[in-house]
Amino acid sequence: MSEPIIQTHGLDFYFKDFKALDQINLEVPKGSIYGFLGPNGAGKTTTIRVLLDLFHPKDGQVQIFGKELRANKVEILGRVGALIENPSIYKHLSGRQNLEVIRKMVDVPKERIDEVLKIVRLVDNADKKAKNYSLGMCQRLGLAGALLTDPDLLILDEPTNGLDPSGIIEMRELIIELNKEHGKTIFLSSHILSEIEKLATDVAIIDQGKILYQGKLEGLQQDNSGLELIIETNEVSQAAELLKSMNYTVSEQNGRSIHVPIVEKLEVAQINKALVDKNLEVYQLKTSEQNLESIFLNITKKLDQ
Amino acid sequence: MNAAIALKRGISAELYKFRRTFILWFLILGPAFIPIINLIIFLTRGEQVMANGGNPWQMLLQFSIDPGNFLFPFFVMIVALFVNSIEHNSNTWKLIYTQPLSRGVVYFSKVKVFTFMIFMSLMLFGIFSVLAGQVVGLLKPDLGFDQTFDKSLFFALPFKVFLMTMGYASLQFWMSQRWKNLILPLGIGIGGFISFMILSQGWKYAPYHPYGYQILGLGNLRDPEFQVWGNLEFVYRSLGLAVVVFVLGGVEKLRKRII
Repeated sequence: MSEPIIQTHGLDFYFKDFKALDQINLEVPKGSIYGFLGPNGAGKTTTIRVLLDLFHPKDGQVQIFGKELRANKVEILGRVGALIENPSIYKHLSGRQNLEVIRKMVDVPKERIDEVLKIVRLVDNADKKAKNYSLGMCQRLGLAGALLTDPDLLILDEPTNGLDPSGIIEMRELIIELNKEHGKTIFLSSHILSEIEKLATDVAIIDQGKILYQGKLEGLQQDNSGLELIIETNEVSQAAELLKSMNYTVSEQNGRSIHVPIVEKLEVAQINKALVDKNLEVYQLKTSEQNLESIFLNITKKLDQ
Repeated sequence: MNAAIALKRGISAELYKFRRTFILWFLILGPAFIPIINLIIFLTRGEQVMANGGNPWQMLLQFSIDPGNFLFPFFVMIVALFVNSIEHNSNTWKLIYTQPLSRGVVYFSKVKVFTFMIFMSLMLFGIFSVLAGQVVGLLKPDLGFDQTFDKSLFFALPFKVFLMTMGYASLQFWMSQRWKNLILPLGIGIGGFISFMILSQGWKYAPYHPYGYQILGLGNLRDPEFQVWGNLEFVYRSLGLAVVVFVLGGVEKLRKRII
């Protein structure tokens, strides 16, 4: 496997006495869409600011493109495009002029502005003043600015935050296109799980400054094994007793139904037979794949206990 | 990358972003304010002003420099606010500090543009003042504006004011960069200036007060002994303070966490 694009080693970060990041070890593989997931206040934005040297890491804690961040900052930032939290846009300038400000700092040819405007689909509105832009357009303009240098790595902090559904879909398509067609590695933070689920190839879950999981998206789903069976029956407590005697753990029990994690579908038939043999009336048997949301809640809840 | 090229990029981006902003008009119209008033005074009451005779250019110079020197600190405070609030308001500190330029270059570009703006408006002030004299000379030939006069004084004195301004300008710049709040730097600046006005009545350390260098250093134009390049200690104090504050501000910016 080739060298990871971003690597952190035992990254700690403090705000006064508050430990915002605790031993963060990230490995972002080349060509991935890396979903960086966590509830609000978990340390996502802090991590991103450290990766961009807005907050200084200590020597040896952060390597990007295999190089020490602090010592090679200018070179590294020349290959990284970033979009951090709320958009950074000069409202009194047009979209094109905003890009021109950045272009002057990074020194790329003028034609590049038209190229990035085309990528983010802002060509028609490029000469409107940015103060008339919708939030979605602001985010796309921010992304255009990040793309000016044709970076190998894009770091996007909550890029869909505050967008309406069509804006979210548009942003998602854009990210996938940048990854697939332009070959960019994308580091993407979000607290919206379904969003990451649709995009990411790799994920890390952070909570209270600690990394709780890191690896392939499928790995996360498998580790926390697949299926959950929901049983509706007339005698819930009796059914729960029966299932416990069959060595199942009941994950949820309410007045109408029982939730039981199972490994394969064959077990549904066995459970059904056992229930019917005990003269219980089975109204409904439903299996559902555990989604990222419940996995996420499970993982972050574990920490509290 | 060559530091000079990097700085050039930083400065050109810095200048570009002030397009279509109020500050550009402010930088042009601000220096025109006193010359326009002088133009009106000389056109309407020129005879009374020149009742005692003498060279009208000398009178115009006094009418320009003294009030100009008094109002200029407020102008500087507002420019310092503008060049920094453009980033505070647009959330763009994090944008400019994640571009592939070192922090020192980005910081110093802004310092350069700020000092350049102040310098240019003082030179414009000189140009507008001379123009006002020329216009009066055309419209009221009997006031005597055809007499010879060393008009370089209209630029030398503002240049000296520029040098003596750098001290408190650096303080205003530092405060405006540090705080998003607009009132705080303005309040401290006005407080600093007024406190100098009061303290200059008799406090023995008043000559060290950074908001007073340009007042004490300029000297009295009516004094027959007047020398443009006299009282240079105020120029040195101002420039010394400016170097210290700009450098410390830069060091702070290098280490600071950028939100």
